Amino acid sequence: MSLRDALNSGKFVVTAEVGPAKGTDIKKILHESELLKGKVDALNVTDNQSAVMRISSVSFCKLLLEMGHEPILQMTCRDRNRIGLQSDLLGASILGIKNVLCMTGDHPNAGDHKEAKPVYDIESVQLLQIVAGLNAGKDMMGNELKGATDFYQGAVVTPESNPIEPQLMKFEKKIAAGANFFQTQAIYDIDKFKDFMSYARQFPVKILAGLVLLKSAGMANFMNKFVPGITVPQNLIDELKAAGKEKALDAGIDIMARHIRQLKDEKICDGVHIMAIGAEDKVPEIMERAGLL
Amino acid sequence: MIITKKRDFKALLENIADYKSFFLVGCSECASLCGTGGEPELAALKIALEAEGKTVTGTMLPKTGCQTLGTKIELKKDKDACAAADAIIVMSCGAGTQSAVEIFPDKPVFPSNDTLFLGNMTRFQMFDERCSLCGECILDKTGGICPVTACPKGLLNGPCGGTNEGKCEVSPDIECAWVRIYNRMKKTNRLEDFKKTLSPKNWSASRKPATLNTRGEKEEVKK
Ligand code: SF4
Ligand code: SF4
Repeated sequence: MSLRDALNSGKFVVTAEVGPAKGTDIKKILHESELLKGKVDALNVTDNQSAVMRISSVSFCKLLLEMGHEPILQMTCRDRNRIGLQSDLLGASILGIKNVLCMTGDHPNAGDHKEAKPVYDIESVQLLQIVAGLNAGKDMMGNELKGATDFYQGAVVTPESNPIEPQLMKFEKKIAAGANFFQTQAIYDIDKFKDFMSYARQFPVKILAGLVLLKSAGMANFMNKFVPGITVPQNLIDELKAAGKEKALDAGIDIMARHIRQLKDEKICDGVHIMAIGAEDKVPEIMERAGLL
Repeated sequence: MIITKKRDFKALLENIADYKSFFLVGCSECASLCGTGGEPELAALKIALEAEGKTVTGTMLPKTGCQTLGTKIELKKDKDACAAADAIIVMSCGAGTQSAVEIFPDKPVFPSNDTLFLGNMTRFQMFDERCSLCGECILDKTGGICPVTACPKGLLNGPCGGTNEGKCEVSPDIECAWVRIYNRMKKTNRLEDFKKTLSPKNWSASRKPATLNTRGEKEEVKK
């Protein structure tokens, strides 16, 4: 089933993330993708994530399609100008890629080519507008296309950003620009997330709560300190600590499974987006414990 | 003003290794304010060059180094000193250096500075980049703070997901331009403008090289 149909059917949707390899040896990532087959509704393919140069997301999406997956093409504005973006989107479309997640992209400063000239010719809101235009058969200059695209448009939002108001205003701009669904930055405080959802529910868009697997108390502390818009509450850090080194990952899996259960049982949002960050092989287990498999 | 930074003296020496005698040109505008091409810097470079066994045939401080014609006229009084030099060293921005290239068609011209950006002087010899000369100003739409310049991603429609407690994802030392814009627009009751989606920027307005002629009735930027 397509992601669009899955979300529209009212099913609690699960997406996960795979990061293309840095290099041409793709055995590991193909294996990880294989493990997720038939379990998740769609797989995000990251686009030079953290500004680290890797295999192009379009190519990897195509491989996933051939394997029978439903890929979500992540497309950032960092590396291509408006001509390149539109051209890659048309290219993705003829390859059969249907879902595109429009994002600004981390600054090259964060990655492994710090001296690169960042492009950011356009940005996420404008990219969503452009995709809506391509769907309507026009390029961004209004030129008629020979054949339109049919993308299901996604975007991201950070519900715990501080200050939150400008973030929410941008969220509304993204909806006006054509976003159909959102995957959020990692959330850990479900009550706080409920506040965001009660605001977000006034809009006709689907929201997938972003969940990042905690592997240790150290990782949680690191995220609190260094990852913007993410707050891991102290009680979860204590839980990871109490589990001890050996069992910390297990505790992390428990936490995520518990959160998924709550989000689903209380119908808080439309699904979850699981970011296992290097532990993709644990996703089936997380889903099992969450009662999704 | 144009912000410049003194080049490493060793790098300058490498560039001019083949030449013996020099005429030095500064600039009384930006380079003087930056401390890279005023009276004291001209004197200091003269001493440094002489310590390396070079000869300085003369020094000169034009009113505005990037004003080619004016500088040419001012330089007339130094005709002999210029003629005696193997090469010219210009202590201004890249524009001033290229005035000299035009004024001295037969002599090598070397810059003693790196040219960095258009800057505001916030305190004595402290400079901030606030405008990147994009050719089509949007300050009217962004509360008077320029995101093209102040946001490392040049975003036009609000903060990226990386902003953190009002700081920028790229460096915690800088404020997030979009949080600043939000705060200012809120204070000045302009949040309605914040909600408007800005279109992609027209970069053709900043295509290089630009020329502008404001003489007579005709006013047009040629691309
Ligand atoms: S919008 Fe353009 S012209 Fe206006 S301040 Fe910013 S860079 Fe300068
Ligand atoms: S944090 Fe703010 S200033 Fe920094 S890149 Fe993001 S939007 Fe721009």
